Amino acid sequence: MTLSLQDAEAILYREAEYLDESRWDDWLDLYAEDACFWIPAWKNETETTTDPESELSLVYYKGRNNLADRVWRVRSGQSVASTPRIRAVHLITNVRLVAADTTTARIAANFAVNLFDKRSGRTHTFFGHYRHALRRESERWLIAGKTIVLLNDTIPTVLDFYCI
Amino acid sequence: MFAGHLSDLIDDRPDEGIFRVSRAIFDDPGVFELEMRHIFESGWVFLGIADQARDPHDFFTTDIGRVPVLVSRDGEGALAAFVNSCPHRGSRVAQTLAGNARLHVCPYHSWSFDSAGRNKSVKLKRAGCYAESFDAQSHDLPALPAFGEYRGFLFGSLDANVPPLETHLGEAAKLLDLVADQGPDGFELVPGAVTFTFQANWKLQLENCSDAYHFTSTHPSYIRILEQRQTANTGFAVKSVWESSDYWREDAQGVAGGSFSFPHGHVLNWGIFGVTEALPLFEQAEALAERHGAAKRDWMFNMRNLSIFPNLQIAENASSQLRVIRPLAPDLTEMRTWCIAPKGESAQARRQRIRQYEDFFNPSGMATPDDTVSYENCQRGFASRVDPWLQGYSRGTTASRAGGNPFSDLIGMEPARNVLADAQLGDETLFQSYYREWARRMAGVIGQ
Repeated sequence: MTLSLQDAEAILYREAEYLDESRWDDWLDLYAEDACFWIPAWKNETETTTDPESELSLVYYKGRNNLADRVWRVRSGQSVASTPRIRAVHLITNVRLVAADTTTARIAANFAVNLFDKRSGRTHTFFGHYRHALRRESERWLIAGKTIVLLNDTIPTVLDFYCI
Repeated sequence: MFAGHLSDLIDDRPDEGIFRVSRAIFDDPGVFELEMRHIFESGWVFLGIADQARDPHDFFTTDIGRVPVLVSRDGEGALAAFVNSCPHRGSRVAQTLAGNARLHVCPYHSWSFDSAGRNKSVKLKRAGCYAESFDAQSHDLPALPAFGEYRGFLFGSLDANVPPLETHLGEAAKLLDLVADQGPDGFELVPGAVTFTFQANWKLQLENCSDAYHFTSTHPSYIRILEQRQTANTGFAVKSVWESSDYWREDAQGVAGGSFSFPHGHVLNWGIFGVTEALPLFEQAEALAERHGAAKRDWMFNMRNLSIFPNLQIAENASSQLRVIRPLAPDLTEMRTWCIAPKGESAQARRQRIRQYEDFFNPSGMATPDDTVSYENCQRGFASRVDPWLQGYSRGTTASRAGGNPFSDLIGMEPARNVLADAQLGDETLFQSYYREWARRMAGVIGQ
């Protein structure tokens, strides 16, 4: 079955739910083992970096195990930045199916993540674009790649994987 | 205005082994105003690197304290720095972070300036009914009263009354050499800048870079993850030098590193990594030894956290970071950060450097947020005046020695003071260098 727009939305909303509700294992389970997770940095006012091998990213991981490391860190109780966790709600809109066949699909969407850090009293919104690459594996759609273009990249103290 | 005295802020009694800093130095708005005027806006401040304006007419913009600055290379290749403010009505002239422009046209009333800052036109001048005396004034972009370059590191001052740049840097310049000499063709900033803020005083960043004591307390999650990755042995893991060195471990034996302090507030916190393949520089290890000798090469492989007072830090540990500290308010600081790297390194070494950088240095990584949240915790605590005096400037007091040691001798460097440390010492006397320079700059501004 080719991925439908409704399927695409369901996957994005599910990922948002898991991140907002600290369901970290469920979140990791959405990703393929070799998934690429990428937040490029900006080169100037208008262009992000495009080659993570020779240019800087905010986050660039190849492999779900690196995301599992990040999950381990927020659970560990050994990171003052991670405990108590920042409250987050992901709002995802303008979902488009860019390409889809029976085994792969590409989705584009816009996001705004509203954050509240009770400890500091800081409220902030990160916003930008998502680009998801999906792959059909064992009767499921997995996230094989997620690129996050963060538009407001002056970062107030902390940006963790669940803040964006 | 700050109505108190210097002795209310810094309690410096070396004969009694006492050095204390008051919480007020971090959160008093009057103190902050004086710092802006007398430290940032009237002394040498780091602006950027020459490679940011590589070709004729290239430019980049930055700030000194609150003042916008334009650094421009003219048609003949000479670098200069200007106040980025139109002499006409004050508008910022250059609008972008960087670019190439033979002519800078003010977007407000179209006065224009060439890449050497010379006024090229006052729009509709003849129709303007100006008095003759108007022509007697310079309409150029005002050059910074002092501007200097040391091996590609650019500094400026809004006050001409500063010592020569070489004097300001002093022996700490040899630590900039260790950065500049890593590549035969110099160094560059890897494309992609990262900017973040924290709600705390700028001096917390100054101190943290030099703080050997915090690493195992603040960053255990990062350290544990490196250990886990080492045992997991997966091809997808991001490798780091920390897991292949021991100097920072609390059970390490022998001299593990230490600190050097210099006049004018510059300090280095360092540790022995060894010539290890975990560092991207490893491919150059032999070439560097041939070019500079083994001793200087080994120093390039040491962990080095360098602060050039008041706003430049170069941290070479897990990777290599250039940081520019910009105070915005007593309790708000902006950090502009880049991965600094020798030009011409292999694609593989560059990739390794970048991956290590992102995990350790980024505000979206696994170490820096634990630092900056700690700064914010400190800032909250600084509100107290129940006992205003902080006790965090005392470790190493009996280990601090005047002059250098065999390690500084290796690169012919003569610091003002040094501490040789085992892994447990966590020297704090190097912070004293910051505050002695701070006090020197405030002398005559704040009463004794």
